[in-house]
Amino acid sequence: MSKSYFDETHTAIGHPKSTFMQWMLTIDHKRIGLMYAAVMFAFFFVAVATAFLMRLELFAPGGQFIDGDTFNQAFTLHGVIMIFLFIVPGIPAVLGNIVMPLMIGAKDVSFPRLNWFTFWLYILGCIIALASLFTDAGFADTGWTFYAPYSITTDTNVVFTLVAAFVLGMASILTGLNFLVTIHRLRAPGMTFWKMPLFVWGIYATAWIQLLATPVVGITLILAIMEKYFGIGIFDPAKGGDPVLFEHLFWIYSHPAVYLMILPAFGVMSEIIPTFSRREVFGYRAIALSSASIAGIGYLVWGHHLYTSGMADIAKTIFSFLTFFVAIPTGIKFYDWIATMYKGKIILSTPMLWALGTIITFTIGGLTGVTIAMIGVDIHLQDTYYTVAHFHYAMLGGVVFLFFAGLHYWFPLVTGKMYNETHAKRAFYLQFVGFNLLWFPMFIAGYYGMPRRYFDYLPEFQIYHQVSFVGAVLFIAGLIYMFIVFFKGWKSGNPSGPNPWNATTLEWHMPSSPPPLENHSKVPYVDFNPYEYHHGEPVVKFDYATMKRID
Amino acid sequence: MDVNNTLQGFNTMAATFAADVDQAFWINFWISVVLGLSVIIPMFYFAWKYRASNVKNEDIKNITHNTPLEIAWTLIPTALLMVLFYYGYSSMKTLRTMPAESESIVVKVEGSKWKWRYEYPPNKNGFVHKLGGAYTKPILDENGKMIKKGTMGKSALYVPVDTNIILHMTAPVDDVIHAFFVPAFRMKEDVVPGRLTKQWFRADKVGEYEVECAEYCGTDHAYMYSRIVVLPKEKYEEWFQGTADTPEGDYANSGDALLQQHGCKSCHAVTEDKMLIGPTLKTRRLTKEQVLEVIHNGQDKLGYPMGAMPAGLATGKDAEEIAAFVAGGMKGEKPASFAACSSCHGEDGKGMGGVSPSLVHYDTNLLRNVFKHGKKGMIGTMPAYPYITDEEVEAIATYLDSLK
Repeated sequence: MSKSYFDETHTAIGHPKSTFMQWMLTIDHKRIGLMYAAVMFAFFFVAVATAFLMRLELFAPGGQFIDGDTFNQAFTLHGVIMIFLFIVPGIPAVLGNIVMPLMIGAKDVSFPRLNWFTFWLYILGCIIALASLFTDAGFADTGWTFYAPYSITTDTNVVFTLVAAFVLGMASILTGLNFLVTIHRLRAPGMTFWKMPLFVWGIYATAWIQLLATPVVGITLILAIMEKYFGIGIFDPAKGGDPVLFEHLFWIYSHPAVYLMILPAFGVMSEIIPTFSRREVFGYRAIALSSASIAGIGYLVWGHHLYTSGMADIAKTIFSFLTFFVAIPTGIKFYDWIATMYKGKIILSTPMLWALGTIITFTIGGLTGVTIAMIGVDIHLQDTYYTVAHFHYAMLGGVVFLFFAGLHYWFPLVTGKMYNETHAKRAFYLQFVGFNLLWFPMFIAGYYGMPRRYFDYLPEFQIYHQVSFVGAVLFIAGLIYMFIVFFKGWKSGNPSGPNPWNATTLEWHMPSSPPPLENHSKVPYVDFNPYEYHHGEPVVKFDYATMKRID
Repeated sequence: MDVNNTLQGFNTMAATFAADVDQAFWINFWISVVLGLSVIIPMFYFAWKYRASNVKNEDIKNITHNTPLEIAWTLIPTALLMVLFYYGYSSMKTLRTMPAESESIVVKVEGSKWKWRYEYPPNKNGFVHKLGGAYTKPILDENGKMIKKGTMGKSALYVPVDTNIILHMTAPVDDVIHAFFVPAFRMKEDVVPGRLTKQWFRADKVGEYEVECAEYCGTDHAYMYSRIVVLPKEKYEEWFQGTADTPEGDYANSGDALLQQHGCKSCHAVTEDKMLIGPTLKTRRLTKEQVLEVIHNGQDKLGYPMGAMPAGLATGKDAEEIAAFVAGGMKGEKPASFAACSSCHGEDGKGMGGVSPSLVHYDTNLLRNVFKHGKKGMIGTMPAYPYITDEEVEAIATYLDSLK
């Protein structure tokens, strides 16, 4: 039997004998992706548990389990983990690392050692972020947005979180840099930009955001640290600073960051829909360019977070106008995906179920985002549960759902085995129902004026919190179910073979399953489009020993 | 009109521009429904029509372009989105176009951790109404079940109906950002330290409407409520030209609000055990220095019938011992020298039925006397507050008790 990347690896330094050290020092993109996944999902569950603690507290008005300060730390912890430790590295760090080089026919990323270093930088960031849980002053209670002057004046240990966000931002920049160079330099011969799979387009657009937007938040966090510990007055009005400046600087990064999260997710969707419709994707260039234009316009809309900050009305108007232009390419993508299903052959496997479920949840998440792009309406809904529900529909119901879709889709590629489809589908339905029950009531509560980040609430809102709680229980049960299905599949699933889904892109043309250390046996020549189907069968076939076309 | 403490306002519209905001919201809602269904309905239809069991491989069609359709699904949503942009813009315009100050009442609003304060322009007698304070938290039993709802207390902003009100809002420079959010009016604007932000409204329904802080501001962010009470014009005018704090005496007396309102907090820490200009009100126990000070200098401002306490009843080491004992909460072994005190303050130090004050902690009686006569303290003199009513003293005492 041929050796897979589980059996052998290249390492950053030396030739360690122990399996453990081989994993710690590995520079193989597939192994690094897997390690990211392990760490990220461990943190993901910590953040889910924190969220559940908050839901539990909010089940009834008044304080039951935790006090206000603990609640404030809980939502900060939840936000910091979910944003900086989970969803920002997210799909690029896991699926991008594992799949992107395979998709373009590369043996690894351009800078494998840098990739290794980035992973450990990420781990360092995680440690710093959580270290303050165990210090005297306690975890930060600022919310993940660190708004000044609150973050400057609070007694909690904000510096750890700020430094961690900086380090994690650095890791994000390096990932982006590595991927950009890889996509530019290591595509298989013949693979022009217009022949790249759409997931690679998503990663490409994301990498530019990582590289260009992240430094802004890095600078902002450094300024906040300088201010808090060295007394330089940039943001604190008591020292002559301006707190609204912090908001601007923060969102100049953090708004593009949400596109940084969603674009690779859209890439996953663009892989799954044609594969499970057994036909060529509709509007390839439109989908690719819409990713690029979302990334571009995304830089210019940060002010829509500041409609109630005291910003000038003319600035609000301009930011609002520009924001609507993000919705247009996003809409085009959705119509293209739906059109891809037209006259196809729809195979409702688990990845496809997740993708179609996301079309529903992200449509709601996206359109409610349009609501709060409208200035007058946002003045009412800003900082209410409506906004909270919107971004959870977009981030959890968009990015994370598609992340799960991608995990189901590439699971056989990574492990060489197949999970139990029946159970996986049940886990999907459980999560889908739980998710909607959890978040939809918040739209209504927010419309009636339930502010976010409230530890206690007026009795009028009790019913919405209770329905949400039931949804949370279902959702978390579904999550655990799904991971059990993954675990069992990896442990005792049937071998899947190299191409279980009848997919067309290069990562499914491996000589063995799971893939060998250096991927394709030979670099293929790419003179075909990524999704070529004829009568429901992939057109392009390879001799996997020579990577010559045999169709 | 009955002014009471029922909460209302989340599902009502009570400002002139609320209808514009709601109209914009509902136009957006229906356009969103149309756009959303234009994606979701075909998705379900295709997933069903082209289900695997229903399609032969030869029937699959690789359609990759349809220019008219693509133009349609680009231009139609763009047009609809521009409609939404317009309504977002126009509703903002009505929200943000300030009326002339000459035709409005300008109220200064200060948001600080975690209360709202309001300052009116002077009335015809030159009296300036200063209102506001913190919300009284709900009371729970040990199982976390609510026994008593929280109340907005005295922290209300009273305004006449059908009148332009302009809010000039700010926060102290050493405070943090808050946001003044009135759901029933559909309005919100941040209150930023060191900046002046403005909002206006014209309430068209008499009633009471919640004010919430919408920008996260720390420990009691979830309790930073206030309310806007919209009064009939005559009623407002009658109150405004007088000096009473509220139009009716029906508001729950919130001790914290009272402390805030009378400015106690500018000299005394209330929830923390620390010395500001005056001693903390949290422990309600005298410090060693305070006891020594009274022993050495006497005390004659508390208004107890027994009269002034002469200086020098104990000296030197005796005085030290007594001070340590009293400051320690009268626990442990009682020093012999305490005999000098017990003749007036009792063996247990709890005072004598309003004749001489308790040393264990200061009680309602003492508070009342201090308010009435003022007090010369170690650092400075606390002025008298003779206008504080007995009910208010009770409320403050109850509140301070709850902090111990």
